[in-house]
Amino acid sequence: MSDEADFDVIIIGCGMAGMACAAQLLKEGIEGDRILVVDRGEPIGAKNLSGGILWGRELDELDDIFPNWEMDNPGIERYINHKKIGFLSSEDAFIMEGKFASWDGIGGTEEPSMRTGWSVLRAKTDSWFAEKLEEAGVFIMPGIKIDQLHIDGLDHTSYSARDLTSPAEDSGRGQNQKWRIDNADPEIVNAIREGKICGIVQDGEVMTSNVVVIAEGSNSILTRSYAFDTMLHAQSRHGIILGVKEVIHLGEDVINSRFGCFSGDDERPPSGMAMEAALAIYDDMAEKAWEEYPVTAGQIPRAGGWLYTNRDTLSIGVVIQLDSLPSGIHTYDMLEAYKNHPAIAPLISGGETVEYGAHLVPEYGLDRMPNRLVRDGAVVIGDAAGLVYSNGAVIQGQNYSIHSGKLAAKVIAKSIESGDFSKKALGQYKKDLDASYVMRDLKRFKTTAKFLADDANYTWVPKFMGKMFNRVVREIGEEKITVEKQALRLRKEMRRKDKKTKKGLGLLNLIRLGLMGRKL
Amino acid sequence: MDEKTKIGLFEYDVKNGLGLIAYNVDEHEHAHIIVDTKKCGDCDSMMCVWGCPAQCYMFRDVGLEEMKFQYEDCVECGTCFLMCTDGALSWNHPRGGFGITYAYG
Repeated sequence: MSDEADFDVIIIGCGMAGMACAAQLLKEGIEGDRILVVDRGEPIGAKNLSGGILWGRELDELDDIFPNWEMDNPGIERYINHKKIGFLSSEDAFIMEGKFASWDGIGGTEEPSMRTGWSVLRAKTDSWFAEKLEEAGVFIMPGIKIDQLHIDGLDHTSYSARDLTSPAEDSGRGQNQKWRIDNADPEIVNAIREGKICGIVQDGEVMTSNVVVIAEGSNSILTRSYAFDTMLHAQSRHGIILGVKEVIHLGEDVINSRFGCFSGDDERPPSGMAMEAALAIYDDMAEKAWEEYPVTAGQIPRAGGWLYTNRDTLSIGVVIQLDSLPSGIHTYDMLEAYKNHPAIAPLISGGETVEYGAHLVPEYGLDRMPNRLVRDGAVVIGDAAGLVYSNGAVIQGQNYSIHSGKLAAKVIAKSIESGDFSKKALGQYKKDLDASYVMRDLKRFKTTAKFLADDANYTWVPKFMGKMFNRVVREIGEEKITVEKQALRLRKEMRRKDKKTKKGLGLLNLIRLGLMGRKL
Repeated sequence: MDEKTKIGLFEYDVKNGLGLIAYNVDEHEHAHIIVDTKKCGDCDSMMCVWGCPAQCYMFRDVGLEEMKFQYEDCVECGTCFLMCTDGALSWNHPRGGFGITYAYG
């Protein structure tokens, strides 16, 4: 088979995971002309969108393929040395801020001193990565959408791509949803679920490879269809987040002065700021929505906001946990409310919106990740594998993607050497992933998803933080009381206000939250 | 306080936002999302309407009696596919070369 296949490896998707996998394959000695990377976007990057900050120094290991990436990649905008974490309520904002000499990479007392995060604009970063891969001999095909995976012994015309993602005539609703493919010949279904994957099908044309790497990103139609995961049904929005984003042009000088940034030198890109906040700003919106659409009454949208500085633009947006969205609230109106918050509006004022966009974030958590990441002849990496972790303070995804791509490449290179592309051989990738910081993070912090899905963090917690800080730092000619007393007093006041807050600030609930929060 | 100036009751000019994205719209016969709007009639949560960041779904939120869907403004996020609980949606990515092109991302 090895000699007959068109390529050793076909990688579907040229995002962070796919490009890292291709680069690592080159490093492992695989010839560039045995690697094909296909992507829906034309040019590469056209379909890609992130928040976006790239954290971690995963790219260092790939710098022989991506030389001087920090300075030369036009989508690496600013390095982050300045981080804010905020709690916004309708009226108040409590924002913690840190600026760290060690994040400049040339000083500071904290070890290691290194630049560790960059604001990125993915349409630009990814086309540069693709260009470098192409220079190294890799086949890059933009504008290619993969319809089906080619399965050994299965005629791809015996079912259509649409069968995989269309509801069956006799479909039930919700969890009982059935797909057209479920009614196909059981032999076909079994081949789709368990057969050996040996290539891709695009527009009726087959290209074969020994290994297919699925790096298709968060909207993982192929991953779900080919039963790497069985949750292709409604209700699968649990654990999935929608990011809605604007890029706002402000000019480099305005950004430097408004956010206290440095404009860069020969060795460093300009410096920048990253801010994330928990949002309790949708009370009015929710109340109005509940009145009009009682079907989801009581549901509070759980959302966070972000603001990142790029070279001459800002990335601003909200992330919305889709299972919390009540009827009556449009996701884009939530972005508008955030942009108009008194703590945010002055930061973006005078800017001109140059792009609007949206993207899913697969923050499944450990419980809801795809059931398997390896099949005979194929592996899943990056967002498609659900490799995202956030606890509100750190947000990891792009670095996990790169890491998973590298791990997969190392295993695939060994398979190419041995000629064994079975799920057993490729399964080493899953083992390596499990042993890496990616899965160890996800395992250690498995309760975080529950914590982040707790309404408290989007209702009374930000309000309490804001009010508390206000009372501790203000001077209104009153006798001072201790912080502890102030907190108890505020808790009592807030509990009096409404039933939900009363329950939320109840002792047992506080203990429960504390126990989860301790594990962040 | 005036209703509109209350925080949280802002309305985003989504058509203006979408106007900033470059699209290459495919022909109707190749629409990447197909909605069986007959199934939408008795849906009372209309989660596709609220979730979609591109206002591709319009229904009772804008006073319509029937679900009205258009794929042309789609930003290909996949939200609607996860939101629909009535099995009304068939979803696929647009054909290669079609759909949105982000310039920033």
